[in-house]
Amino acid sequence: MRAAGPAGAGIPHLGGLRALVLHRAHADTAALLRQLGAIGLAAEAAWPDLPADAVLADFLFFDADQGFDAQMPWMPGEAPMPLVALIGTEAPGRVEWAIRQRADAHLAKPIGNAGIYSALLIARQKFEERQALTREIAALRKQVAERRSVVQAVVRLTEAGLSEAEAFGRLRALAMNERITVEAAAVRFCAAAEGAGRGARRA
Amino acid sequence: LQQVCGRGALSIQGPWNLRQRVDIGVLYSRGGDYRLLSEASCAGAEAGIRAVNADPARRVTFAAHRREPGGRAEAYGTLCADLLRSGRIRHVLGCTTSSSRKEVIPVLERFDALLWYAAPYEGFEASERIVYAHACPNQHIVPLLNYVAPHWGADAFLLGSNYVWGWEVNRIARALVGDWNGRVLGERTLALGDTDVAHLIAEIRATRPSFVLNNLIGQSSYAFLKAFAELGREDAAFRPENCPVLSCDLMEPELAALEGSGEGHLVVGPYFADGSGAGKAASSMEAAAHACVLILADLIEAAGTDAPERVRALLPTRAFATPMGRLRIDGQTQHAHLPVRIGRIEGSGFREVWRSEGALAPDPYLSRHDPRGLSSVPAARPALRVVS
Repeated sequence: MRAAGPAGAGIPHLGGLRALVLHRAHADTAALLRQLGAIGLAAEAAWPDLPADAVLADFLFFDADQGFDAQMPWMPGEAPMPLVALIGTEAPGRVEWAIRQRADAHLAKPIGNAGIYSALLIARQKFEERQALTREIAALRKQVAERRSVVQAVVRLTEAGLSEAEAFGRLRALAMNERITVEAAAVRFCAAAEGAGRGARRA
Repeated sequence: LQQVCGRGALSIQGPWNLRQRVDIGVLYSRGGDYRLLSEASCAGAEAGIRAVNADPARRVTFAAHRREPGGRAEAYGTLCADLLRSGRIRHVLGCTTSSSRKEVIPVLERFDALLWYAAPYEGFEASERIVYAHACPNQHIVPLLNYVAPHWGADAFLLGSNYVWGWEVNRIARALVGDWNGRVLGERTLALGDTDVAHLIAEIRATRPSFVLNNLIGQSSYAFLKAFAELGREDAAFRPENCPVLSCDLMEPELAALEGSGEGHLVVGPYFADGSGAGKAASSMEAAAHACVLILADLIEAAGTDAPERVRALLPTRAFATPMGRLRIDGQTQHAHLPVRIGRIEGSGFREVWRSEGALAPDPYLSRHDPRGLSSVPAARPALRVVS
């Protein structure tokens, strides 16, 4: 038995979302557009050029057989929406190209009615995971960079006569008061100390 | 005088009446655990075939080819292939459970045939190879829960047979219960045919939900409802007026098997039998299967062929006169627009307590679902009327 508690497993909301299908006119394109419509998305096909507002689409299905980098108005791997590769030719070069685009899911040709709904959900999940990871990595990188400031601040405080534990305690207190991270508090402290130092030297 | 020359052969019945004979497959289990449901569909299909064949205004006659899967999901694919292999049959009426429908889809694709599916199901499918003539979730569980939550509360106990119908309808119910700020106090599944329900009753008694959602099918469902009626006799909190059991797939022909224990509980469906007998469909599954045959006949007559792609193309172009009233089929999803009725079990039938104003457009992926359902709350929407 699943635990009692608040419900809300959630019904995936795909209704009204916009999907682009980057594929030449073909039975596969027609089958895909039909099924996306049945699922409730607004879907349109484009080939070989994407429309000018492609970056605003919620999903992009792209042809891995005949696609090329210049079709996408972003760097390979940096699409701003979930991507689904449509793979017919399983030659390693083509699969590699699809991987380089960072497809979040794929569909094997010929395209039927099956698999498209799961591809949408899997691609969206993967894309969101990837976005979250990218944001987390950026935040961690920033923190690592700010660690230098923490070391500097602790050195300054210990030079001024505090123990190392007291120095960390001071930074933590500053961070809590200002509701910022310890790293940000250290940056602020160093800047203030630097300013005070410059002021003292000028005086 | 009958001249048979393979597929789409013509039979000449009388000097003026040139009728096209069309072979169709009928794939329903006559035995097995959910026999009462599949027999209802089967009765509807047979009645539809008889009605078409007896109608002098018709330009088609149907020749039915029957196969009996015996309630085993894995038998459906094989038997469907068996029907379609010769190439004469392009349309099959059949399947009750979703497991059996999933077995049949690849076969339909291989032989370019169309399945006419006339059972309520859990949605999240829109195969070009299937016409869905019974309710999908926005036509069953969504209005039923939206009817019940304001009256009885939204704390739910969810039950289901252990396959995709129970899993997915309960999953949708979880979301709806969340929308109503209710709690899911428990979720239990039973294997098909399992009638050991004592632990379910114990948990329901301990958790005291506002209602029980029953997605058990066949014998499990009957065993549960009987045990729950017993619980209601011991503790008034579990009588139907205080804690109703909700079913999205209970049909009138199953009531006899319940021996009165379903009394007062709630059901939903596009059609309720009026109890008159008199040649009318005895359940919505029977009515839907009957409707499938009539719709198919209309479309073959309109297309002048039984070729599935031609029949499919005409699906959204007209309304069809059926035992469930005039029906339209959505071309994009190939699901029927259906009226929604909520009923209370009374004696050998369902007494309507609420009905939708007209037919509800199908939304099999719930992509137009509106949490807390302003578009589908029975009690809150002025366009809908309460039938007491």
